[in-house]
Amino acid sequence: MSETQHLRRQELTAKQHAREAAETLTRLEDGFPDNPEAMSYFYDLFRRTFCENEPVQTGPLVGTTCIQVPDELVRAAGGVPVRLCNGAHTMDQVGAEFMPSKSCPLVKATLGVLHSDLPEWLKGLKGVVNVTTCDQKRKAGSLMEEGGYAVHHLEIPPAKDSEPARNYWRESVRDFAKALPELTGGKLTRRSLRDAILENGRAQQAYRRFHRLRREKPALLLGKDAFLVGNAFFFDDLDRWTEAVEALVAELEQRHADGFSAAQKRAPRILFTGSPPVFPNLKVPLLIEQAGGVIVADETCSSNRMLYDAVTVDEWNLYDMVDAVADRYLKPCTCPIFTSDADRKRRLLEMAKEFQVDGVVYQTFAGCQVFEMEHRSINQTLDAAGIPSLYVETDYSPDDVGQLSTRVEAFIESLKTRRRRAR
Amino acid sequence: MTYYAGIDIGSTAIKTVLIDDGEELLDSRTAPTGSHFHHSALDAFEVMLGKAGVAREDVAFITATGYGRKLFREADESISEITANAIGAKKAGAAFGDVRTIINIGGQDSKAIRVDDEGNVVQFAMNDKCAAGTGRFLDMAARNLEIDLEELGTYHFMLKGAPPPINSTCAVFAESELIGLLANGHSKEEIVAGIHYSIAKRTVRLAKRVGVDGRVYFDGGPALNRGLVAAMEEELMTELVIPEIAQVTTAYGAAILAREAALDECEEGHGT
Repeated sequence: MSETQHLRRQELTAKQHAREAAETLTRLEDGFPDNPEAMSYFYDLFRRTFCENEPVQTGPLVGTTCIQVPDELVRAAGGVPVRLCNGAHTMDQVGAEFMPSKSCPLVKATLGVLHSDLPEWLKGLKGVVNVTTCDQKRKAGSLMEEGGYAVHHLEIPPAKDSEPARNYWRESVRDFAKALPELTGGKLTRRSLRDAILENGRAQQAYRRFHRLRREKPALLLGKDAFLVGNAFFFDDLDRWTEAVEALVAELEQRHADGFSAAQKRAPRILFTGSPPVFPNLKVPLLIEQAGGVIVADETCSSNRMLYDAVTVDEWNLYDMVDAVADRYLKPCTCPIFTSDADRKRRLLEMAKEFQVDGVVYQTFAGCQVFEMEHRSINQTLDAAGIPSLYVETDYSPDDVGQLSTRVEAFIESLKTRRRRAR
Repeated sequence: MTYYAGIDIGSTAIKTVLIDDGEELLDSRTAPTGSHFHHSALDAFEVMLGKAGVAREDVAFITATGYGRKLFREADESISEITANAIGAKKAGAAFGDVRTIINIGGQDSKAIRVDDEGNVVQFAMNDKCAAGTGRFLDMAARNLEIDLEELGTYHFMLKGAPPPINSTCAVFAESELIGLLANGHSKEEIVAGIHYSIAKRTVRLAKRVGVDGRVYFDGGPALNRGLVAAMEEELMTELVIPEIAQVTTAYGAAILAREAALDECEEGHGT
């Protein structure tokens, strides 16, 4: 391929990517009334980043492909973590050149980002941290290397409850901490790690307040906006993001005081779980809320699970801090790659109760075997607890929207009838 | 007299139903969806009214369902075809016993629905985006075998030997597979039966996902195909309820829901 052809192709991909993002943003913003004013910050952030290609972050960018990458360590070593997980159909199509067509769209799209050298501002990427979670992510790591990127393979055990697993992960994170300065050019010190833990902690605190406000009935915020807030954490400047979340929290508290309802007062309350919605793939969340449901909580690695648990440090010396960071990532993780799904079940049941949920929507990306495999037992658990659920298998292409909207609407309708009958 | 209408705008056909205050089905109409579904739907609706001798203003409420439900602005409300199908089947199947499971095969999807004693949806399953084993596939197969769609049932019962296994019920690959079978010397009867059994197996798997309970009601256009019905009954090992209104059950359900919605509105109107 000649240089001109390559540039032409890249230009087209960039345009398609921008258009996809713009279309989703229009749907998010204009498709619903009464968006919180504080959400403008996020709509604008996504528009600038995805449609206008503005660099939101500068510095030694370190790409990450999983929530299991300890951000604190990257920051402490002077790096700027940017999560590369991508939700664009355009990027999925780019990635499909390198992976089997039936593989997970999220993995394909993330690989697509790296192979298309887009967006422009990611060009300065110093390297990628790839966690060896599922087979596809693990193998994608070596494909990234083939693409010319420096990749750190952060090894994660397939179980999390045993002592050997914990030690394995601790070793792995320690190795990562040692390797980081090479990527970032900075130095990881006791002070820098302490500051990074505290800074992340402030962001998490803001997020937890935000998360708790979603328990209110009637709902104060639509789930489509909540997903955007979580997604922004992927790439936004940490302090600016924290401030924006605090502003949103203040507005939601005011909404609560005013007795405001973001959806119809009796709109069925949905808990979203499974494969993570990543902008611009908010297909299923949008269908749920267009059908008259409201997503009040989620158990996914693109928002709630990413920010919920905080690091607990016993001794503020470097080695103890690194181990404490490692523990915060392994123990609460409910990724389906682990042998046991007991934690995920427990968390779903707790959330269903805490957020007064009427039903669960479980999304699996076509090609994600582990989420598909867990679906049966999760479904049985929910069934036994009397919580209705809808299982949806989908990908990034828009061609199943008609069919999915029927299923989602029928599910919302059945939740409404169920409640009417219960009265 | 006040009337209520249900319009089911499907991928292949548009079905309209008119009912009176006693939920009695007065008239129905089935027309091809075509490329201008909005026009086809209005047309079918007006022809039905003309035949029934009912004036447009006497239709108090219209509920739309099916793929085109949201784009049909003449309707007062829209509802998903799963809810509408369940309500219609419960009512139409009442004479046959306690219907708890509904199987529907449409133009581009198939569904299994489990309902409670009032026709409320308890659980449902639907094929994913692939249209394998749906009405569209039967269409394609009939065309490839150069027989009329209506003849499929007749061919099924002419089977002498064993039906060949049909591996792909994909509408796209049907052609090459069927041509291969013909080339290998299989008769049209064998192939037709093979198609019916493979659709039946696929659909029964879907039904088992929601749980088969009580009487099983089978509707949608393909329910008019006696050969497919026989294959389904063998696979399911139970007798199916095939309503007279197989193709318009969902539109009928929408009409019943239209009546309920109109009555609810009336009550609310009096209340304020």
